[in-house]
Amino acid sequence: MKTADLIAALASEAAPTPPAPVTRPILAACAAGAAATLVLLVLWLGLRPLADALASRPFWMKAGYTAVLGLAGVLMVRRLARPGGRVGWAPLIALAALAALAGLSGLEMVHARPDQMHALMMGHTARVCSLRILALSAPIYLAAVWVLRRLAPTRLALTGAAAGLLAGGIGASVYGLYCDETAATFVVLWYTAGIAAAAGLGAIAGRWLLRW
Amino acid sequence: MIAGLDGDGAAYGQLLAALGGYLRAHFRRRLGAGSADVEDLVQETLIAIHVKRAVYDRNQPLTPWVWAIARYKLLDHYRRTGARRHAPLDDAGELFSQDNPEEGAVRRDVESLLGRLPRKQRDLLRDVKLAGFSMEEAAARGGMSVSAAKVSVHRGMKRLEKEVGDEDR
Repeated sequence: MKTADLIAALASEAAPTPPAPVTRPILAACAAGAAATLVLLVLWLGLRPLADALASRPFWMKAGYTAVLGLAGVLMVRRLARPGGRVGWAPLIALAALAALAGLSGLEMVHARPDQMHALMMGHTARVCSLRILALSAPIYLAAVWVLRRLAPTRLALTGAAAGLLAGGIGASVYGLYCDETAATFVVLWYTAGIAAAAGLGAIAGRWLLRW
Repeated sequence: MIAGLDGDGAAYGQLLAALGGYLRAHFRRRLGAGSADVEDLVQETLIAIHVKRAVYDRNQPLTPWVWAIARYKLLDHYRRTGARRHAPLDDAGELFSQDNPEEGAVRRDVESLLGRLPRKQRDLLRDVKLAGFSMEEAAARGGMSVSAAKVSVHRGMKRLEKEVGDEDR
Protein backbone atom coordinates (compact mmCIF):
# COMPACT_ATOMS: atom_id res chain seq x y z
CA MET A 1 0.00 0.00 0.00
CA LYS A 2 1.22 3.48 -0.78
CA THR A 3 1.94 5.57 2.27
CA ALA A 4 -0.25 8.37 0.98
CA ASP A 5 -3.20 5.97 0.71
CA LEU A 6 -2.51 4.68 4.17
CA ILE A 7 -2.52 8.21 5.56
CA ALA A 8 -5.80 8.95 3.79
CA ALA A 9 -7.30 5.76 5.21
CA LEU A 10 -6.12 6.55 8.73
CA ALA A 11 -7.28 10.16 8.48
CA SER A 12 -10.72 9.01 7.40
CA GLU A 13 -10.93 7.11 10.66
CA ALA A 14 -10.39 10.27 12.65
CA ALA A 15 -13.13 10.59 15.18
CA PRO A 16 -13.30 12.25 18.56
CA THR A 17 -10.97 10.08 20.62
CA PRO A 18 -11.17 10.48 24.36
CA PRO A 19 -7.84 10.03 26.14
CA ALA A 20 -7.38 6.46 27.26
CA PRO A 21 -7.22 6.05 31.03
CA VAL A 22 -3.81 4.89 32.19
CA THR A 23 -3.73 5.06 35.98
CA ARG A 24 -7.11 3.46 36.53
CA PRO A 25 -6.48 0.21 34.60
CA ILE A 26 -3.06 -0.14 36.25
CA LEU A 27 -4.63 0.19 39.70
CA ALA A 28 -7.35 -2.24 38.65
CA ALA A 29 -4.67 -4.73 37.59
CA CYS A 30 -2.96 -4.30 40.96
CA ALA A 31 -6.22 -4.96 42.79
CA ALA A 32 -7.12 -7.98 40.64
CA GLY A 33 -3.60 -9.38 40.91
CA ALA A 34 -3.49 -8.85 44.66
CA ALA A 35 -6.85 -10.64 45.05
CA ALA A 36 -5.58 -13.59 42.99
CA THR A 37 -2.38 -13.69 45.04
CA LEU A 38 -4.36 -13.60 48.28
CA VAL A 39 -6.40 -16.60 47.14
CA LEU A 40 -3.18 -18.37 46.18
CA LEU A 41 -1.67 -17.61 49.58
CA VAL A 42 -4.72 -18.86 51.49
CA LEU A 43 -4.83 -22.11 49.50
CA TRP A 44 -1.07 -22.65 49.64
CA LEU A 45 0.17 -21.47 53.02
CA GLY A 46 -2.83 -20.10 54.89
CA LEU A 47 -2.85 -16.90 56.94
CA ARG A 48 -1.32 -16.11 60.28
CA PRO A 49 -3.81 -15.12 63.02
CA LEU A 50 -4.70 -11.65 61.79
CA ALA A 51 -5.52 -10.12 65.16
CA ASP A 52 -1.93 -10.82 66.26
CA ALA A 53 -0.58 -9.47 63.01
CA LEU A 54 -2.47 -6.19 63.09
CA ALA A 55 -1.41 -5.55 66.67
CA SER A 56 2.27 -6.16 66.03
CA ARG A 57 4.76 -3.50 65.01
CA PRO A 58 6.89 -5.76 62.74
CA PHE A 59 3.81 -6.50 60.65
CA TRP A 60 3.38 -2.80 59.90
CA MET A 61 7.10 -2.36 59.36
CA LYS A 62 7.04 -5.08 56.70
CA ALA A 63 3.76 -3.94 55.18
CA GLY A 64 5.00 -0.35 55.01
CA TYR A 65 8.25 -1.31 53.34
CA THR A 66 6.72 -3.61 50.74
CA ALA A 67 3.79 -1.29 50.04
CA VAL A 68 6.15 1.62 49.37
CA LEU A 69 8.17 -0.51 46.96
CA GLY A 70 4.96 -1.53 45.21
CA LEU A 71 3.87 2.10 45.06
CA ALA A 72 7.18 3.08 43.47
CA GLY A 73 6.55 0.36 40.88
CA VAL A 74 3.06 1.71 40.20
CA LEU A 75 4.41 5.23 39.69
CA MET A 76 7.08 3.99 37.28
CA VAL A 77 4.69 1.78 35.32
CA ARG A 78 2.20 4.61 35.02
CA ARG A 79 4.78 6.81 33.32
CA LEU A 80 6.41 4.11 31.23
CA ALA A 81 3.05 2.96 29.87
CA ARG A 82 3.17 5.83 27.39
CA PRO A 83 5.64 6.27 24.54
CA GLY A 84 8.50 8.48 25.62
CA GLY A 85 7.61 8.13 29.31
CA ARG A 86 10.50 8.52 31.73
CA VAL A 87 11.00 6.75 35.01
CA GLY A 88 11.04 9.98 36.97
CA TRP A 89 11.87 10.08 40.64
CA ALA A 90 9.94 6.96 41.66
CA PRO A 91 13.10 4.81 42.03
CA LEU A 92 14.24 7.28 44.69
CA ILE A 93 11.18 6.39 46.76
CA ALA A 94 12.16 2.72 46.59
CA LEU A 95 15.76 3.52 47.48
CA ALA A 96 14.64 5.72 50.39
CA ALA A 97 12.48 2.88 51.73
CA LEU A 98 15.39 0.49 51.38
CA ALA A 99 17.73 2.92 53.16
CA ALA A 100 15.22 3.44 56.00
CA LEU A 101 14.82 -0.28 56.55
CA ALA A 102 18.56 -0.85 56.30
CA GLY A 103 18.91 1.78 59.03
CA LEU A 104 16.42 -0.06 61.24
CA SER A 105 18.29 -3.27 60.57
CA GLY A 106 21.56 -1.61 61.55
CA LEU A 107 20.06 -0.45 64.86
CA GLU A 108 18.75 -3.93 65.47
CA MET A 109 22.13 -5.50 64.85
CA VAL A 110 23.98 -2.99 66.99
CA HIS A 111 21.73 -3.74 69.95
CA ALA A 112 21.74 -7.50 69.46
CA ARG A 113 23.93 -9.93 71.35
CA PRO A 114 26.31 -11.80 69.06
CA ASP A 115 24.36 -15.04 69.51
CA GLN A 116 21.15 -13.31 68.36
CA MET A 117 22.51 -12.00 65.10
CA HIS A 118 22.11 -15.21 63.18
CA ALA A 119 18.44 -15.37 64.12
CA LEU A 120 17.90 -11.75 63.08
CA MET A 121 19.32 -12.48 59.65
CA MET A 122 17.92 -15.93 58.97
CA GLY A 123 14.70 -16.09 60.99
CA HIS A 124 13.19 -19.52 60.46
CA THR A 125 12.08 -19.11 56.83
CA ALA A 126 15.09 -17.55 55.12
CA ARG A 127 15.46 -20.40 52.66
CA VAL A 128 11.94 -20.11 51.25
CA CYS A 129 10.99 -16.49 51.82
CA SER A 130 12.38 -14.95 48.62
CA LEU A 131 11.09 -17.73 46.40
CA ARG A 132 7.63 -17.54 47.93
CA ILE A 133 7.50 -13.79 47.33
CA LEU A 134 8.59 -14.34 43.75
CA ALA A 135 5.86 -16.95 43.22
CA LEU A 136 3.21 -14.78 44.86
CA SER A 137 4.10 -11.81 42.68
CA ALA A 138 3.49 -13.74 39.44
CA PRO A 139 -0.30 -13.20 39.26
CA ILE A 140 0.14 -9.46 39.84
CA TYR A 141 2.87 -9.24 37.23
CA LEU A 142 0.71 -10.99 34.66
CA ALA A 143 -2.22 -8.69 35.41
CA ALA A 144 0.04 -5.67 34.95
CA VAL A 145 1.38 -7.06 31.66
CA TRP A 146 -2.14 -7.65 30.45
CA VAL A 147 -3.00 -3.99 31.04
CA LEU A 148 0.30 -2.67 29.68
CA ARG A 149 -0.11 -4.45 26.36
CA ARG A 150 -3.23 -2.36 25.80
CA LEU A 151 -1.25 0.80 26.49
CA ALA A 152 1.97 1.62 24.65
CA PRO A 153 5.22 1.06 26.54
CA THR A 154 8.24 1.55 24.30
CA ARG A 155 11.04 0.61 26.71
CA LEU A 156 10.10 -2.96 27.34
CA ALA A 157 12.85 -4.15 29.66
CA LEU A 158 12.56 -1.08 31.88
CA THR A 159 8.77 -1.26 31.91
CA GLY A 160 9.01 -4.97 32.72
CA ALA A 161 11.32 -4.22 35.63
CA ALA A 162 8.90 -1.59 36.93
CA ALA A 163 6.01 -4.04 36.61
CA GLY A 164 8.12 -6.61 38.47
CA LEU A 165 8.79 -4.11 41.26
CA LEU A 166 5.07 -3.33 41.44
CA ALA A 167 4.23 -7.05 41.55
CA GLY A 168 7.02 -7.90 44.00
CA GLY A 169 6.03 -5.10 46.36
CA ILE A 170 2.35 -6.01 46.37
CA GLY A 171 3.07 -9.74 46.43
CA ALA A 172 5.34 -9.31 49.45
CA SER A 173 2.67 -7.21 51.16
CA VAL A 174 0.22 -10.08 50.71
CA TYR A 175 2.85 -12.56 51.92
CA GLY A 176 3.10 -10.51 55.11
CA LEU A 177 -0.36 -11.85 55.99
CA TYR A 178 1.28 -15.27 56.40
CA CYS A 179 4.88 -14.56 57.31
CA ASP A 180 5.51 -14.04 61.03
CA GLU A 181 9.15 -13.02 60.85
CA THR A 182 9.76 -9.95 62.96
CA ALA A 183 13.34 -8.79 62.33
CA ALA A 184 14.04 -5.79 60.10
CA THR A 185 17.30 -7.46 59.13
CA PHE A 186 15.44 -10.49 57.87
CA VAL A 187 13.09 -8.33 55.84
CA VAL A 188 15.79 -6.15 54.35
CA LEU A 189 17.64 -9.26 53.21
CA TRP A 190 15.04 -11.76 52.08
CA TYR A 191 12.02 -9.63 51.22
CA THR A 192 14.28 -7.33 49.24
CA ALA A 193 15.85 -10.29 47.46
CA GLY A 194 12.43 -11.65 46.49
CA ILE A 195 11.21 -8.29 45.22
CA ALA A 196 14.46 -7.64 43.35
CA ALA A 197 14.19 -11.05 41.73
CA ALA A 198 10.65 -10.19 40.64
CA ALA A 199 11.90 -6.93 39.10
CA GLY A 200 14.80 -8.69 37.34
CA LEU A 201 12.67 -11.49 35.94
CA GLY A 202 10.06 -8.89 35.05
CA ALA A 203 12.62 -7.05 32.97
CA ILE A 204 13.63 -10.20 31.11
CA ALA A 205 10.07 -11.39 30.55
CA GLY A 206 8.92 -7.89 29.67
CA ARG A 207 11.06 -7.78 26.57
CA TRP A 208 8.88 -10.55 25.17
CA LEU A 209 5.55 -10.21 26.93
CA LEU A 210 5.12 -6.48 26.52
CA ARG A 211 5.45 -6.30 22.73
CA TRP A 212 2.56 -4.77 20.93
CA MET B 1 -2.64 16.04 16.86
CA ILE B 2 -5.17 17.42 19.26
CA ALA B 3 -7.38 18.52 16.36
CA GLY B 4 -7.10 14.97 15.05
CA LEU B 5 -8.07 13.53 18.42
CA ASP B 6 -11.08 15.81 18.38
CA GLY B 7 -12.15 14.33 15.05
CA ASP B 8 -10.70 16.78 12.49
CA GLY B 9 -9.77 14.35 9.71
CA ALA B 10 -8.11 16.95 7.47
CA ALA B 11 -5.79 18.26 10.17
CA TYR B 12 -5.04 14.70 11.22
CA GLY B 13 -4.15 13.72 7.64
CA GLN B 14 -1.81 16.70 7.36
CA LEU B 15 -0.13 15.74 10.60
CA LEU B 16 0.36 12.15 9.53
CA ALA B 17 1.76 13.24 6.16
CA ALA B 18 4.23 15.59 7.85
CA LEU B 19 5.24 12.94 10.37
CA GLY B 20 5.62 10.48 7.50
CA GLY B 21 8.21 12.77 5.91
CA TYR B 22 10.24 13.04 9.11
CA LEU B 23 9.99 9.33 9.78
CA ARG B 24 11.07 8.46 6.24
CA ALA B 25 14.18 10.63 6.59
CA HIS B 26 14.88 9.14 10.02
CA PHE B 27 14.55 5.49 9.01
CA ARG B 28 16.46 6.12 5.81
CA ARG B 29 19.39 7.41 7.83
CA ARG B 30 19.27 4.32 9.98
CA LEU B 31 18.70 1.64 7.37
CA GLY B 32 20.23 3.15 4.26
CA ALA B 33 18.28 4.88 1.53
CA GLY B 34 17.93 1.79 -0.64
CA SER B 35 16.37 -0.38 2.01
CA ALA B 36 12.92 -1.61 1.09
CA ASP B 37 12.09 -1.71 4.79
CA VAL B 38 12.09 2.07 5.16
CA GLU B 39 8.60 2.54 3.76
CA ASP B 40 7.30 -0.44 5.73
CA LEU B 41 8.64 1.07 8.91
CA VAL B 42 7.15 4.48 8.09
CA GLN B 43 3.77 2.84 7.58
CA GLU B 44 4.06 0.66 10.67
CA THR B 45 4.94 3.67 12.78
CA LEU B 46 2.06 5.71 11.39
CA ILE B 47 -0.32 2.85 12.10
CA ALA B 48 1.07 2.55 15.63
CA ILE B 49 0.59 6.27 16.17
CA HIS B 50 -2.96 5.91 14.94
CA VAL B 51 -3.82 2.81 16.95
CA LYS B 52 -2.30 4.16 20.17
CA ARG B 53 -3.46 7.75 19.75
CA ALA B 54 -5.82 7.49 22.70
CA VAL B 55 -2.80 6.89 24.93
CA TYR B 56 -1.33 10.25 23.90
CA ASP B 57 -1.35 12.66 26.81
CA ARG B 58 -2.56 16.00 25.50
CA ASN B 59 -0.48 17.88 28.03
CA GLN B 60 2.75 16.42 26.73
CA PRO B 61 4.70 17.51 23.63
CA LEU B 62 4.11 15.35 20.58
CA THR B 63 7.67 14.98 19.31
CA PRO B 64 9.10 12.75 22.08
CA TRP B 65 6.00 10.63 21.82
CA VAL B 66 6.39 10.05 18.09
CA TRP B 67 10.11 9.63 18.50
CA ALA B 68 9.67 6.93 21.13
CA ILE B 69 7.26 5.00 18.91
CA ALA B 70 9.64 5.29 15.94
CA ARG B 71 12.50 4.04 18.08
CA TYR B 72 10.38 1.17 19.31
CA LYS B 73 9.41 0.18 15.77
CA LEU B 74 13.02 0.37 14.62
CA LEU B 75 14.23 -1.86 17.49
CA ASP B 76 11.39 -4.22 16.74
CA HIS B 77 12.57 -4.31 13.14
CA TYR B 78 16.16 -5.07 14.14
CA ARG B 79 14.89 -7.82 16.40
CA ARG B 80 12.87 -9.38 13.62
CA THR B 81 15.57 -9.18 10.98
CA GLY B 82 18.22 -10.46 13.35
CA ALA B 83 21.24 -8.24 13.25
CA ARG B 84 21.85 -4.67 12.42
CA ARG B 85 21.75 -4.09 8.70
CA HIS B 86 24.73 -2.73 6.80
CA ALA B 87 24.04 -0.05 4.27
CA PRO B 88 25.30 -1.28 0.92
CA LEU B 89 28.01 0.94 -0.52
CA ASP B 90 26.44 1.48 -3.92
CA ASP B 91 23.49 3.11 -2.22
CA ALA B 92 25.65 5.73 -0.61
CA GLY B 93 24.98 8.19 -3.44
CA GLU B 94 21.26 8.00 -2.80
CA LEU B 95 21.77 9.20 0.74
CA PHE B 96 22.26 12.64 -0.62
CA SER B 97 19.39 12.59 -3.08
CA GLN B 98 16.96 15.40 -2.53
CA ASP B 99 13.48 14.14 -1.88
CA ASN B 100 11.86 17.32 -0.84
CA PRO B 101 13.01 20.92 -0.95
CA GLU B 102 13.30 21.29 2.78
CA GLU B 103 15.39 18.20 3.17
CA GLY B 104 17.62 19.40 0.33
CA ALA B 105 18.09 22.76 2.00
CA VAL B 106 19.10 21.14 5.24
CA ARG B 107 21.50 18.87 3.37
CA ARG B 108 23.12 21.89 1.73
CA ASP B 109 23.60 23.59 5.06
CA VAL B 110 25.10 20.45 6.49
CA GLU B 111 27.41 20.08 3.49
CA SER B 112 28.66 23.65 3.72
CA LEU B 113 29.31 23.21 7.42
CA LEU B 114 31.09 19.93 6.87
CA GLY B 115 33.20 21.64 4.19
CA ARG B 116 34.94 23.62 6.92
CA LEU B 117 36.39 20.50 8.50
CA PRO B 118 39.54 18.68 7.40
CA ARG B 119 38.77 16.07 4.78
CA LYS B 120 39.41 13.02 6.91
CA GLN B 121 37.25 14.26 9.75
CA ARG B 122 34.56 15.34 7.31
CA ASP B 123 34.38 11.88 5.74
CA LEU B 124 34.27 10.31 9.15
CA LEU B 125 31.46 12.54 10.38
CA ARG B 126 29.50 11.94 7.21
CA ASP B 127 29.87 8.17 7.57
CA VAL B 128 28.89 8.08 11.21
CA LYS B 129 26.27 10.78 11.49
CA LEU B 130 24.66 10.80 8.05
CA ALA B 131 25.29 7.48 6.36
CA GLY B 132 24.57 5.47 9.50
CA PHE B 133 27.76 3.44 9.63
CA SER B 134 28.78 2.13 13.00
CA MET B 135 31.84 3.67 14.60
CA GLU B 136 33.80 0.48 13.85
CA GLU B 137 32.85 0.48 10.17
CA ALA B 138 33.57 4.16 9.75
CA ALA B 139 36.95 3.82 11.46
CA ALA B 140 37.84 0.97 9.12
CA ARG B 141 36.79 3.03 6.12
CA GLY B 142 38.91 5.93 7.26
CA GLY B 143 41.80 3.63 8.06
CA MET B 144 42.09 4.60 11.73
CA SER B 145 41.53 3.00 15.09
CA VAL B 146 38.09 3.05 16.65
CA SER B 147 39.14 5.20 19.56
CA ALA B 148 40.82 7.71 17.26
CA ALA B 149 37.64 7.83 15.20
CA LYS B 150 35.52 8.44 18.31
CA VAL B 151 37.72 11.31 19.39
CA SER B 152 37.72 12.77 15.90
CA VAL B 153 33.93 12.58 15.60
CA HIS B 154 33.50 14.13 19.02
CA ARG B 155 35.83 17.02 18.21
CA GLY B 156 34.21 17.48 14.81
CA MET B 157 30.76 17.73 16.39
CA LYS B 158 32.03 20.24 18.94
CA ARG B 159 33.51 22.33 16.19
CA LEU B 160 30.33 22.20 14.12
CA GLU B 161 28.26 23.20 17.14
CA LYS B 162 30.55 26.15 17.65
CA GLU B 163 30.37 27.14 13.98
CA VAL B 164 26.57 27.00 14.04
CA GLY B 165 26.55 29.03 17.23
CA ASP B 166 28.80 31.66 15.66
CA GLU B 167 26.59 31.88 12.61
CA ASP B 168 23.46 32.41 14.63
CA ARG B 169 25.01 35.25 16.50
